[in-house]
Amino acid sequence: MTHHEVEKYSAGARWFHWTITAAALVLAITGLFLYVPAFSSVAEGGATRIVHRIAAVIFILAPLLFFLMKPGRSFHFIKEIFSWGKDDLAWLKAAPDYYFGGDEKKMPPQPDMNTGQKLWAVVAFFSALGFIFTGIFMWFLKDTLSAGVFDWMVIIHDLCFIVGGAMLLVHLYLGAIHPRMTESLKSMVKGKVSAEYAQSHHGKWYKEVAAREAAAKGTPGGQGKQQAH
Amino acid sequence: MAKAIMYDATKCTACRGCQAACKQWNELEAEETKNTGSYENPADLSYRTWLKMRFTEVENGNGLAWLFTRRACMHCTDAGCVQVCPTKAVNKTDSGIVYIDREKCTGCGYCVEACPFDVPRLDGSRVTGKAKMFKCILCKDRVDNGHEPACVKTCPPGALDFGEREDMVAKSEARVAELGDDALLYGDKELDGLHVLYVVNHPLKDHKLPVNPEVSPAVTLWQDILKPVGYGVVGIVAGGLLLNYMVARARMVKAKEGK
Amino acid sequence: MTNHWTDVANSDYIMVIAGNPAENHPAAYGHITDAIERGAKLIVVDPRFTRSASKAHLYCPIRSGTDVAFIGGLIKYVIDDMEANPGNYNMTYVTEYTNAAFLVHPDYKGPPDLDGLFAGYDEANRTYGKSKWTYLDAGSTEGNIIPVLYPLAEGGKGVAKKDKTLKDPNCVFQILKRQYARYTPEMVNKISGAPVEKFLEVAQTFAKSGAVGKAGNILYAMGATHHTNGAQIIRSYGILQLLLGNVGVSGGGIQAMRGESNVQGSTDQALLSHIIPGYLNVPVHTDATLQKYIDRVTPKTGDPLSLNWWKNTPKYITSLLKAWYGGAATASNDFAFHYMPKPKSGKNHTHIALFEAMEKGDEDKKEKVKGLMCWGQNPAVGSPNANQTLRALETLDWLVCVDMWETETSVFWKRPGVDPTTIDTEVFQLPALGSYEKEGTVSNSGRWVQWRYKCADGPGDARADLEMLNDLMLKVKKLYDDDAAAPNRDGILSLTWDYAAEGEHVDPRKVLKEVNGYYVTGEKAGQLVNGFANLADNGSTSCGNWVYCGCYVDEASLDAFENANKAAMFPPDNMGNRTARRWTADVGNAGFGSKPEDGYKPIGLYNYYAWCWPANRRIVYNRASVDLNGQPWDTEHPVITWFGDAAGAWKGDVSDGGGKAMVHGGHAPFIMRSEGVGCLFAPNLGTREASLADGPLPEHYEPWESPLDANPLSATKNDPVIKIWRPEEQSTPDEYPIVASTYRVVEHWQAGQMTRNSSWLVEQMPEMFIEMSEELAAEKEIKNGDKVVVWNTRGEITAVALVTKRFKPFQMNGTTVHQIGMPWHWGYSGLSTGDSANVLTPSVGDPNTTIPEYKAFLCNIRRA
Repeated sequence: MTHHEVEKYSAGARWFHWTITAAALVLAITGLFLYVPAFSSVAEGGATRIVHRIAAVIFILAPLLFFLMKPGRSFHFIKEIFSWGKDDLAWLKAAPDYYFGGDEKKMPPQPDMNTGQKLWAVVAFFSALGFIFTGIFMWFLKDTLSAGVFDWMVIIHDLCFIVGGAMLLVHLYLGAIHPRMTESLKSMVKGKVSAEYAQSHHGKWYKEVAAREAAAKGTPGGQGKQQAH
Repeated sequence: MAKAIMYDATKCTACRGCQAACKQWNELEAEETKNTGSYENPADLSYRTWLKMRFTEVENGNGLAWLFTRRACMHCTDAGCVQVCPTKAVNKTDSGIVYIDREKCTGCGYCVEACPFDVPRLDGSRVTGKAKMFKCILCKDRVDNGHEPACVKTCPPGALDFGEREDMVAKSEARVAELGDDALLYGDKELDGLHVLYVVNHPLKDHKLPVNPEVSPAVTLWQDILKPVGYGVVGIVAGGLLLNYMVARARMVKAKEGK
Repeated sequence: MTNHWTDVANSDYIMVIAGNPAENHPAAYGHITDAIERGAKLIVVDPRFTRSASKAHLYCPIRSGTDVAFIGGLIKYVIDDMEANPGNYNMTYVTEYTNAAFLVHPDYKGPPDLDGLFAGYDEANRTYGKSKWTYLDAGSTEGNIIPVLYPLAEGGKGVAKKDKTLKDPNCVFQILKRQYARYTPEMVNKISGAPVEKFLEVAQTFAKSGAVGKAGNILYAMGATHHTNGAQIIRSYGILQLLLGNVGVSGGGIQAMRGESNVQGSTDQALLSHIIPGYLNVPVHTDATLQKYIDRVTPKTGDPLSLNWWKNTPKYITSLLKAWYGGAATASNDFAFHYMPKPKSGKNHTHIALFEAMEKGDEDKKEKVKGLMCWGQNPAVGSPNANQTLRALETLDWLVCVDMWETETSVFWKRPGVDPTTIDTEVFQLPALGSYEKEGTVSNSGRWVQWRYKCADGPGDARADLEMLNDLMLKVKKLYDDDAAAPNRDGILSLTWDYAAEGEHVDPRKVLKEVNGYYVTGEKAGQLVNGFANLADNGSTSCGNWVYCGCYVDEASLDAFENANKAAMFPPDNMGNRTARRWTADVGNAGFGSKPEDGYKPIGLYNYYAWCWPANRRIVYNRASVDLNGQPWDTEHPVITWFGDAAGAWKGDVSDGGGKAMVHGGHAPFIMRSEGVGCLFAPNLGTREASLADGPLPEHYEPWESPLDANPLSATKNDPVIKIWRPEEQSTPDEYPIVASTYRVVEHWQAGQMTRNSSWLVEQMPEMFIEMSEELAAEKEIKNGDKVVVWNTRGEITAVALVTKRFKPFQMNGTTVHQIGMPWHWGYSGLSTGDSANVLTPSVGDPNTTIPEYKAFLCNIRRA
């Protein structure tokens, strides 16, 4: 079998992903110090709150910057995560067995973003909006808000944290730990996955990629790239 | 044993010796103020004004009244600030003092919003978030050493008293009985008992005291419901993932072996 | 104070008028709180609803300067009620302890007869001839009227004729009744703006204190004295309290609330121009010899019931001269009386006169005032007509300011708007220690002389006043010693001055002992005198101030109770210094056998806490607190009680004058009066008892600057004998229709140096402000917090408007009058600066004291 790799994520996408991941992790951890009394001693003195704010700025600026640089790609991404159909239902049916180590053949071929990934993206999208909205209030409008409104802002912020945080755990697990997701992390680090992995995990997408590759073979400067090792 | 301040508004002349004594003992800097058409100053509590007197002119069928009201931490038993403090920097002592350990304070300001009496104040900047919370700590240093708080010590007309809370409650009740008519005791039952008791003989609303002070339901929702739910959700997810890992790995190994 | 602060708690009715103790006497106010807690009713009468009013059961507004009308109305109410319901009053007190029964000279005429004037008015000189303002002597016969007026005419007995039925039309009671018949509630309203129903409520309430066993108290302060009729206002309190039997009893009396911790002490030590220490009259140029002085000022009486304490004047003046001139004062040289400086009789040396002379030159000597020593005083802020004061300071060659801070006075030469190069005055600023940085005594409102210890070192080169004074006088003596031709050289050189060497610390105990007095001859020579009863007029004793005699004694002179508790009562460095006593058990005057086990009922006298002049007597005129048998009117609060003929028969407080109860041949209660009784009518007896300058009875006159066109009471609009320096500066109601008054706030202190430099107090009261009613503000389109300008003929000031419900326009029987108020603490120097209210106050003075009129003047106001 030819050992070749296909590009899964562009450099820009990867930069964006890791930047926002780093910011999110910092935000989550520094937030956690305030949330969990057992960790509160770390937050004493307030340094972690400064870090939280710096991370928040990055967390807000990174997507804005990405959007400005790649508006088309961004729109496409947003359109994609909100496009749900029959295939997603099939994924949902197959997913439990698949992710619990069942026969991978029973999972229908998936596009570059499967239903689970879309689900995560949607949750991440909304919780980020929630974080940013309530965070701005908590940060800048403390004095103008009534105590009651403020309390609700904190509650929504925390609610986002619970939902988003739980999903983040799932995402981290699936991306880096789950025995079946062998190249997921690699894809986000190096941008490429093996053809085998692409075929088995994102069959539908690989088909398109493979078709483009085949078409490009005779055409120098074509999109598809492959490397032989 | 729980201690309490008794503030008898019917004896208070708003000389504000308490205000100055508070600043003197706690070494708080003066604020730059303006006369805005009132005797009242500074305009509000702040990180360097922990106690101030409020002046209110009330005119009704009974004629004119010039009411003086003490504004400082009430040292609630059911203290919202203590409940919300993430680092337990705001805490309760055995004497009933709601104390702020500024070493621990992160400056988050949740206490500011959780206080039904609008008492805690932050210094520093809201923007950088580098701040600390300040408020009356009932002169904990003095009380711990057997003295009354500085405000009580200085009060010339004897409007302030300090002692065991139950004694202060008894004294306040006796005073209310003596005054009769419209007199009432505020703080005995509010928020499971304040550690600053007010004897007043004008309606609470004229004194601008909240009639039924309560810790915001949001604080309860947050502390008593949302936090446990959060721990639960995260716990369940983490447990599920662990289970998934073990099952998936076992099945995949088995499947591989079966090949 | 006739009584003392602690005793206020024993009152049943308290009337605070012309004072604001919750604001200006905040610590002492606690005693009023105590009284209220014990069931007392608090009445506050003031133009403005004050901090004190906020605590009162009853508040009644009156326009500034109408106090006599208001109190006159109360006097009328009490007299009418007394005739209708004598059972509600202590009629024995009125007939036996006051001069109600005394017959007055038949030629006496008063305002009801003379349209506002008293008999004897000399319009050209704006003075009264007072020969008719006196009693009818008991030696008078039909056709031979003899006044009780010293020197007595042939046949005079020195005792007034009396009618104890109080029916004689010429008796004081009837004259009083006639005088105040015009002061109806409606008239009170027309003059003062006090609503009729409020006035009646006050009258009904306070009149209840006239019942036997009930005590009513009047507390006043500068709101009464700072008027052109200040002395008469105080007199009106005296009349009311005597009628109600409130003088001398516990919880009663008239209390001058002193505005500074030691202003009582400064008065006692005669920091005034008309007296010398111990309230002795100042000798004048006509007192050629000591005997002439003594004859002029010593009251005489022919009344066997009168103790006439001032008959001891020769002992006090002689002992004072011995204290001052020591060995240089001998019987053969009139005890050095000739060394004493003697001002011209009738010449005014009070504050306004001094600053007028400074600006214009002395009117007699045609000389300029060269220098001024301002010792703990800030006239640039505190003087009336502050702009005049500043002009006056500019004429000085030199000015010395002794103070804890730089004051407006010490920097007057660089004040805003002035070119320092145009002022030639050389100014010296001497830094002084604060009262807590040195030891010594402070005398409070209740006459308690209290030793204070030093608690901190002062900053830098600051020194105690006493030490600076010592150095100064030693230098002066040196200069006189060097100049053989210096005027009164012997007088200066003979002055005893042995406190300490120049530059050394002066022990204030040494001064206090000198004030107390020593035996100077005989076997006791060198010992301290234990009480003024032991002072002599033959030069065998010295005493710097007879009323303080007994405050510092030798260990051997301690009384039995002091001896028994000697170690606990006297610190080792203050043995015998009674002002240092801090005995907090209320044992009455145990030295007189009044321990609780003897049946003493504690009423808060605290006789062994500090020391109280005179003779450690806590309540003066206390003989009026008992009936003719010596038994207390108020058995709940017995001040003194007569226990038979034995020695030490009086128990409780130190009784006024000792002796027996009246029925056993004892004396009448008011021992400081030659009649022995309290004066409803203040007669001219020709000695130091010369009545007031403006009448034997208080009569309402409009303030010099009045919002009214006429006095509703008579054709005499203003007090006809007030002292007016600048008639051209009178502000009139056509241009200046608004009444203004100055006052203090609790956050600031006097002319402000101490508090306007304290950031915590500046924070609380940061700016000069003007208080006004919502109605006036609406009329002038002023909003709360606006900057406003207040002006009159003397100047203008800018301040923040404080629009309040606590000021209301006065509705005076159809006439509306607005009043505004302002604190006078601010000036141009210090942490907090602002315009001085005294820019607006006039240069007019009370005819008796020439105290400035700070409390009622006219102005106008507009938005800045």
